[in-house]
Amino acid sequence: MKFITGGAYSGKRRFAAERFGITAGVADGKECAFNEVLTAKCVNNYHILVRRLIAENKDPIAFTESLCAENPDITVIMDEVGCGIVPVERTERLWREACGRCGCILAGKSDIVIRLICGIGTAIKGEL
Amino acid sequence: MITLITGGSKCGKSSLAEKILDGFFGKKYYIATMRPYGRESLEAIERHRNMRSGKGFETIEKYTGLDEIVIPENSAVLLECMGNLCANEMFGDKIVNPVKKIIDSIRYLDSISETLVIVTNETGADGIEYAPETMAYISHMNEINCITADFAENVIECVYGIPVVRKGALCY
Repeated sequence: MKFITGGAYSGKRRFAAERFGITAGVADGKECAFNEVLTAKCVNNYHILVRRLIAENKDPIAFTESLCAENPDITVIMDEVGCGIVPVERTERLWREACGRCGCILAGKSDIVIRLICGIGTAIKGEL
Repeated sequence: MITLITGGSKCGKSSLAEKILDGFFGKKYYIATMRPYGRESLEAIERHRNMRSGKGFETIEKYTGLDEIVIPENSAVLLECMGNLCANEMFGDKIVNPVKKIIDSIRYLDSISETLVIVTNETGADGIEYAPETMAYISHMNEINCITADFAENVIECVYGIPVVRKGALCY
């Protein structure tokens, strides 16, 4: 399993395409069916998927754990969202916390974790 | 030679940029892109002026169109900062995509200077979905950062004053 993170527009998808050859079979967390992720080669916008799971009263942590168990070769792309001020609104706060926890689970299970800044990917776990 | 310095707000990017040029013995130019508007920007400008005083920089205040700048050969340029420049180029009479214009002006400044240090900003890692024009700004800023980092020799991320080399090397 691979995990690619970094801020919005930091070059994550491009990195996945150029370095891991992932161009097709990418589920978009913004709109894909939840179970699509369990068989996809890659999922993008996982932080949005987390938001959608919460909105439908599904536990994102349990979902992420089952994703790791059922699709251990997937590449997960997720924005780093934890920097900045703690949101005033409760739902935003819970979402951000859930993203943090899910990200830790995904990074923990991944053989390689890439973090991007200015389009530059650094392996912060494992080796490229 | 381009050195791109990035990082979050108030993480020591300017100090690092000035430190990099400390050992430069030629003419040093500081391109200030922040429009003096409102108390907070005036305070920031004052703070940066004090930081730079005695370090031999000549200040060029230029808020847009950096390709109009003319400096003597073999000079060093410190451009601060991309966040203001991008906003200035983007939000004029109408909202425009400033990426090409800014990249062209960076390449121009690189071509006329001995060494170019650019201070930029990390935007887009707070998870907040802003209004569309703000999201466009974040997108343009990151695109500019990605393209610049691609042709820059050195890319340094500042983390609470600690420089982390992302590409090339940190040379004082």
